[in-house]
Amino acid sequence: MLRVRTIGWLACIWSGAACGDNELFSSAAGGDTTVDDRTSKAFTAPATNLSDQQLEQHLRGDQLFEAKFVTAPAPLHGGLGPLYNNTSCKLCHTNDGRGLPQISDGAAAQALVRVSLPTGIPSVPGGAVPVPELGTQLQNHAIFGLTPEVTVELAWVESVGAFADGAPYTLRRPLLRIARPNAASLPSDMRTSFRIAPAVFGLGLLEAIAQDDVLATADPNDSDGDGISGRANYVWSPTLQRTELGRFGWKANTATLDDQAGAAFANDMGVTSPFFAAGTDAPELAQADIAATSFYTATLAVPTRAPQSAAANRGSELFRKFACSGCHTPEQRSGAHPVSALANQTFAPFTDLLLHDMGPALADGRPDFLADGNEWRTPPLWGLGLVQTVLPGASYLHDGRARTIGEAIMWHGGEAARSSAMFAAAPARDREALLAFLATL
Amino acid sequence: MNNSLLSSIAALAALNACADDGAATPSGFDDQGILVDYADKVIIPTYQTLATRAQALSVAIATLKTNPTDANLRAARTAWEQTREPWELSEAHLFGPVSANGFDPAMDSWPVERNDLDAVLASNNALTSAFVRNLPETQKGFHTIEYLLWGQDANKIASALTSRELEYLDALATELVTVTMALTTSWTVGFNGAAPYRTVFVTAGTGSTAYPSAAAAAQEILVGMSAIANEVANGKIADPYDAHDPEKVESQFSFNSLIDFADNIRGIAAAYSGDATIAGAGQTGRGLDEFVASKAPALDIRFKQEIVDAIAAINAIPAPFRTAITTPSSYPLIEAAQAKIRIVQTTIDAELIPLVGQ
Repeated sequence: MLRVRTIGWLACIWSGAACGDNELFSSAAGGDTTVDDRTSKAFTAPATNLSDQQLEQHLRGDQLFEAKFVTAPAPLHGGLGPLYNNTSCKLCHTNDGRGLPQISDGAAAQALVRVSLPTGIPSVPGGAVPVPELGTQLQNHAIFGLTPEVTVELAWVESVGAFADGAPYTLRRPLLRIARPNAASLPSDMRTSFRIAPAVFGLGLLEAIAQDDVLATADPNDSDGDGISGRANYVWSPTLQRTELGRFGWKANTATLDDQAGAAFANDMGVTSPFFAAGTDAPELAQADIAATSFYTATLAVPTRAPQSAAANRGSELFRKFACSGCHTPEQRSGAHPVSALANQTFAPFTDLLLHDMGPALADGRPDFLADGNEWRTPPLWGLGLVQTVLPGASYLHDGRARTIGEAIMWHGGEAARSSAMFAAAPARDREALLAFLATL
Repeated sequence: MNNSLLSSIAALAALNACADDGAATPSGFDDQGILVDYADKVIIPTYQTLATRAQALSVAIATLKTNPTDANLRAARTAWEQTREPWELSEAHLFGPVSANGFDPAMDSWPVERNDLDAVLASNNALTSAFVRNLPETQKGFHTIEYLLWGQDANKIASALTSRELEYLDALATELVTVTMALTTSWTVGFNGAAPYRTVFVTAGTGSTAYPSAAAAAQEILVGMSAIANEVANGKIADPYDAHDPEKVESQFSFNSLIDFADNIRGIAAAYSGDATIAGAGQTGRGLDEFVASKAPALDIRFKQEIVDAIAAINAIPAPFRTAITTPSSYPLIEAAQAKIRIVQTTIDAELIPLVGQ
């Protein structure tokens, strides 16, 4: 299922393609949305092809994304809690990028834990089964005077390994200690999944990929026998009130950006809105606010790739040779989209938006809609080379366990086990070339 | 917003695209000395001044707590204003540890969480700095201290300060000192096991984990300058002005908003010139202005004048800003200031950033 798209006729106007032998992609990283910025602010720019009216809506969403919420009643940004993980979008999505794997650090917590039970009645059709009194997400903060529903402590467990040439590496995995107040017990069969906040730029382009294009690369039974399946998740959309293809979230459990924004306000901050209301009270945000926030993430530009070097060019060949591109699909096209700036673009996100079995070492054991406990959605790789610029000390994978991109590759198992094995077997020079390529994204 | 500059830079990026030596790409800017001075003469002294003045604020609040007179309240307010100055200057370089380690939100979050603040004050919790550290950002830092020192309508008198408020202020000021010192440390010796960010910055192009070339670090300086110009014109001024809503004004209790804005623009001048003299740190260094002057001397002179003009236009708005936004005779002056600040931003985006290259 090698799905490298080469668009040979496209003029080689952008850095990678301009050097001749890069077959992975020929498009600008984010099509016409691309911003020429490789600084700490690279994820924060509006798409460069927005109309004045679109830019105005983007900036309205920017205010909401940045707003720090406080308890109601308040003259500004009221509605926080009573339970929450953090008080603004931006406090976890630093500079519109990822967050740190911090959870037991008081106000600085930027990660969260999803929970569920293996059997029972889901809270939405086909979804995860909530844990009594806790729901499907743990909020370890509460407004003053209330007790948070849990405390979460995070420790790291290290293990060592070695590449084929003998060079050693160290991996770490998270170990959570979750406790309820007053020593109340937790269900023994509770599933837990620890996640960092992902980056939020370029999401409108992913939303605009035609569903048929996503499904065209799915191969649920691996009928081509390349060891890579790729399954679509189908999930309940609270906004649309129907089941749709899942595109967003670490397990593709969210169909639309409106769903993503509404769910994050409600679950992460305790701020309700029409489709994500805590009960019969009046919603704290109007649907127009949710739409402005999702418009903001939809229309954040994708940063341009860094200039290619010879090593990076060779690395891009290895990316294909090691079959990384089997799931991290270099190029995608968008179809129609209500936001004209996002429609009919060719761009390079390095994802197929599909679920893949990543093996037992990475598994969270917590199913989410059709995603099983071993499966994760291929995350986009655009912006990967800017992660340390945007958030010094940031780490990788769904729970931030990988301190370097090399560690992240070594965690790849299941359908990606062959790829990580080829990386491990490669000489240091090749490993460095692959990393040099990834640093240009 | 950077929309205007993009097409011009794209062409430059394409030209630079094919370095074939595997090393960092050649660029317009390659003067490591300017990066070193930016770290050593601007960023670090500004943060050190911030930490020193936060300590003075903490002392002033401790004095106020012991002896809550109006004179001591005035002294605490002055100390707050003096601590505010280096922080606002430093907002021209909001990158690296200040955002990565949560220092910015821990110091500068608003709106103030008034309901829970009241609840905390009414509670029996011991108001230690460890206790306030774990409170949400909207219950600590500059603006909660400001709210307690001035009150909602800037008419608080010392006798109105409760003993719980004084204890809370004391804990907040102590915590502010801790944060400002950690921020300084994060640049000089490293924080939480990370390398000092000074090293990350000045090794741009020679092993830096964040900046593959010296030009990339120079771009960071310029984007920081551009971002704060944008924030002042299109956020700090525009949000409350467009809504004519005083609740959307930052530093609304102390009536310090216009000084905040002018200090932000002075921060741009410091970042550009490599001089932290205006931050009270007495440091003079080589700045990007030297590079620009060597390539386009007229641009350098014009840009410096644009900064002067923007500060003058802010100073021409009648204080306090929260009154100006609902006073029609002030509207033209507010809009004139926005226009002057946008000129600064446009010059950075459309002329300075392309000059530096990548």
